[in-house]
Amino acid sequence: MDKVRSNVMLCGGTGCIATGSLKVKDALVTELKKHKLYDQITVTLTGCNGFCAQGPLVTVFPEGIFYEKLTADDIPFLVEEHFLKGRPVEKFMYKAPEDKSAVPAISEIPFFKHQVLRALRNKGIIDPEKIEEYIARDGYMAAAKALTEMKPEDVVKEMKESGLRGRGGAGFPTGLKWELCAMSKGDLKYILCNGDEGDPGAFMDRSIMEADPHVVLEGMIIAAKAIGASKGYIYVRAEYPLAVERLQKAIDQAKDYGLLGENILNTGFNLDIELYLGAGAFVCGEETALMRSLEGKRGMPIPRPPFPAQKGLWGKPTVLNNVETYANIPPIILNGGEWYKSLGTEKSTGTKVFALTGAVNNIGLIEVPMGIPLRTIIYDIGGGIRKGRKFKAVQLGGPSGGCVPEHLLDTPVTYEDIVQTGAIVGSGGMVVMDDYNCMVSVARFFLDFTTEESCGKCPPCRIGTKVMRDKLADITEGRGQEGDVELLQDLAKDIINTSLCGLGQTAPNPILTTIKYFKDEYESHIHDKWCKAGVCTDLATFYIDEEACKGCTVCAKNCPQECIAGEKKKPHIIDQEKCVKCRTCYEKCKFNAVKVGPANMFDKKDEEVQV
Amino acid sequence: MAGNILVVDDEPVVIVSCERILTPEGYSVKGASSVDEAIGHLQNGDYDLVITDLKMPNKGGLDLIKWLRDNNSKAGIVVITGYPSQETIKDALHMGIVDYLPKPFSPALLIDVTAKAISFVKSKGIEEVTSEEQEITAKAEEIKNVIVSNKDRPGGLIPVLQQVQEILGYLPPAVLKLIARGLNLPVSEVHGVVSFYSFFTMKPKGKHNVRVCMGTACYVKRATEILDKLKDILGIEEEEVTEDKQFSLETVRCLGACGLAPVVVVDHDTHGSVDPVKVSGLLEEYN
Repeated sequence: MDKVRSNVMLCGGTGCIATGSLKVKDALVTELKKHKLYDQITVTLTGCNGFCAQGPLVTVFPEGIFYEKLTADDIPFLVEEHFLKGRPVEKFMYKAPEDKSAVPAISEIPFFKHQVLRALRNKGIIDPEKIEEYIARDGYMAAAKALTEMKPEDVVKEMKESGLRGRGGAGFPTGLKWELCAMSKGDLKYILCNGDEGDPGAFMDRSIMEADPHVVLEGMIIAAKAIGASKGYIYVRAEYPLAVERLQKAIDQAKDYGLLGENILNTGFNLDIELYLGAGAFVCGEETALMRSLEGKRGMPIPRPPFPAQKGLWGKPTVLNNVETYANIPPIILNGGEWYKSLGTEKSTGTKVFALTGAVNNIGLIEVPMGIPLRTIIYDIGGGIRKGRKFKAVQLGGPSGGCVPEHLLDTPVTYEDIVQTGAIVGSGGMVVMDDYNCMVSVARFFLDFTTEESCGKCPPCRIGTKVMRDKLADITEGRGQEGDVELLQDLAKDIINTSLCGLGQTAPNPILTTIKYFKDEYESHIHDKWCKAGVCTDLATFYIDEEACKGCTVCAKNCPQECIAGEKKKPHIIDQEKCVKCRTCYEKCKFNAVKVGPANMFDKKDEEVQV
Repeated sequence: MAGNILVVDDEPVVIVSCERILTPEGYSVKGASSVDEAIGHLQNGDYDLVITDLKMPNKGGLDLIKWLRDNNSKAGIVVITGYPSQETIKDALHMGIVDYLPKPFSPALLIDVTAKAISFVKSKGIEEVTSEEQEITAKAEEIKNVIVSNKDRPGGLIPVLQQVQEILGYLPPAVLKLIARGLNLPVSEVHGVVSFYSFFTMKPKGKHNVRVCMGTACYVKRATEILDKLKDILGIEEEEVTEDKQFSLETVRCLGACGLAPVVVVDHDTHGSVDPVKVSGLLEEYN
């Protein structure tokens, strides 16, 4: 090992594997061997680096030089230049959006610069399939400390001190949950991990499980010590095959090392952890539903109390935490609760991981201190809205959350401030929308989701979500009527107040926030039969503004219906008879000459002519 | 329901009676007095149903059935026999006949058996039933092992269903019964769990399974248009299989690959940043 001069960290997250990082790896190994460099330069397939849209990604240490969008064909040149001749290759580096200049160091790239890594501290640095690499990064030190030096109440005290709140969505203080369970009497207790990341548009937990599976196990060991559990389950989505594979490897390795099983580290403490594959039901994110699912039943929630901390899985005291919560625990035990709350605000301490996606330039996984304004996330880390379009809203918290409009972009990201806007921090999905998006249709999308995922146990959720969904379908398909908005608001209130679990209680949030901030869109859908974003095709007519059209012919060339006519450099025209409203011309036009009018705009024109 | 029928019998009276009874019912009937003559007709025409005697001089009905199987004929088979001994019927059943007519038979019985056999063949029942049954029988051992090894595991039902679905690709009703019996659970509970979770399916999938991600990030990047386009190209709706069984189409909640949105997964390959206009190119790789 003394001869190694460089470490090449190649991202092996799901995103990068999909864009070809395994082929890049093979090419790297071949080329390095060809130049007889393979004994001096190591190639490591890491977990998700976070900058998913730019993949496949490579970081070369110790310099920290970052390469993006590599293909296998680029590798011979890269190896020759960088590793043989010692000249980093600018053309594969990240380019600053302002002046297109290459940014060599990963630490200087804006996407990474504003982040503070705690839960994600090992991402892209270690090989997730090797326990030794995790241990080299202080792995299992915190577990050892908790098992050998601390009493259960010390662990609970440290967690309460840190102020860490559950990262799964509800934000319940973790220390408090553990304390409740620690106080419950029982010879057998369970410690569970929720890796059933159900929110569409969120992939924080997936990335942690793929990039740093041991941190989940270590967090669970510490929690088990605190509550006195001897059996653990990790509930993972079956749709995450890579995470399942890596977690299983991690469990096997930890058992080999005596970090799981009986008499861990000679302390007399026993803990066995098993993987359990979920089968795809959003409601299983709710803790009582998840426990029913673990019991092999339909995943339906049950009323509380009794709380799972008293009577959970198979009627035994149980603590369930989410993946990201567990990832935060080892550093808290090592550095203390005081250290953890040095970041963030009083009620929302530490850092939070977000999956930043949608209409921003930089898409990926980010970890930021609590209290950072939304604007910083979207414009500095996210690099602003793609293609220079206009920001419309950011959706936080998935189907339980809401849409935050532009005038609230300076809201600090904390549990308490985000709730004020009508959205929730949730598990950390952050989907940015530009003016191509119709907010009524976004609300309908989420209601489609909750209607299908409602488990059907309680009528307010089962029937209520369907009625709301149907009403939204009416509005987006041109059957909206006076009073629909008020009806939706009324229904929402009842559903929130009477539903059994979190799914129903939060399902109306997407409707309420879009009505609150984008009521004009609802009104133009209902009264003018006009979807100004051109998304609800029943309520839109695409036409070309003669004055703005430069006659560049791009729209005509791209039209799949071939229904746009016009000579070069002269205004084009869309044949409304043939137009299928596919939006292609609208999105391709560089001069914003394609406009969206109301459904019946041409009927109206005829009337005007007659008058 | 009309259809082309070939009647094979060494007694001309049987052929003539069949013609008289079935022609008014809208069938077109041809006769053959020996197996060789029948093969000649079958090589030169399309038949939906072959009604054949089992006992004939020289070659018998079983030889004809074997020939039909060897030549992958789609025609359904009904046997006529004066001696419905269990053994002969069993042999014929093993070779995939649809039904049998004991001699002497009444016109009503002939019409009834013919109509049922024709509608069975036309719904392609023969092929599917045999291939489904064959598949389950071939993998019965594997399925039993899964059930046995999870029998005492608390909450073992979901893992069993996952593993069996991995083996078969789907969970047919017969297998659900098998699982229920093996785990000592009511079939209703097994069915309840299967219908609750979106991961489980009771319908077979195509050779290639196309999954369109419907997560929020994919949705705002026009995933619905991709889905519509795929429906259009494949000519099927969600949860359906193309006629040639090459492709099945389904949507998934979120694959957690939002950085690549919009995402389409074919079998185990993830395709990112899919352009709705160019979806057809994506499928060509799998044809």
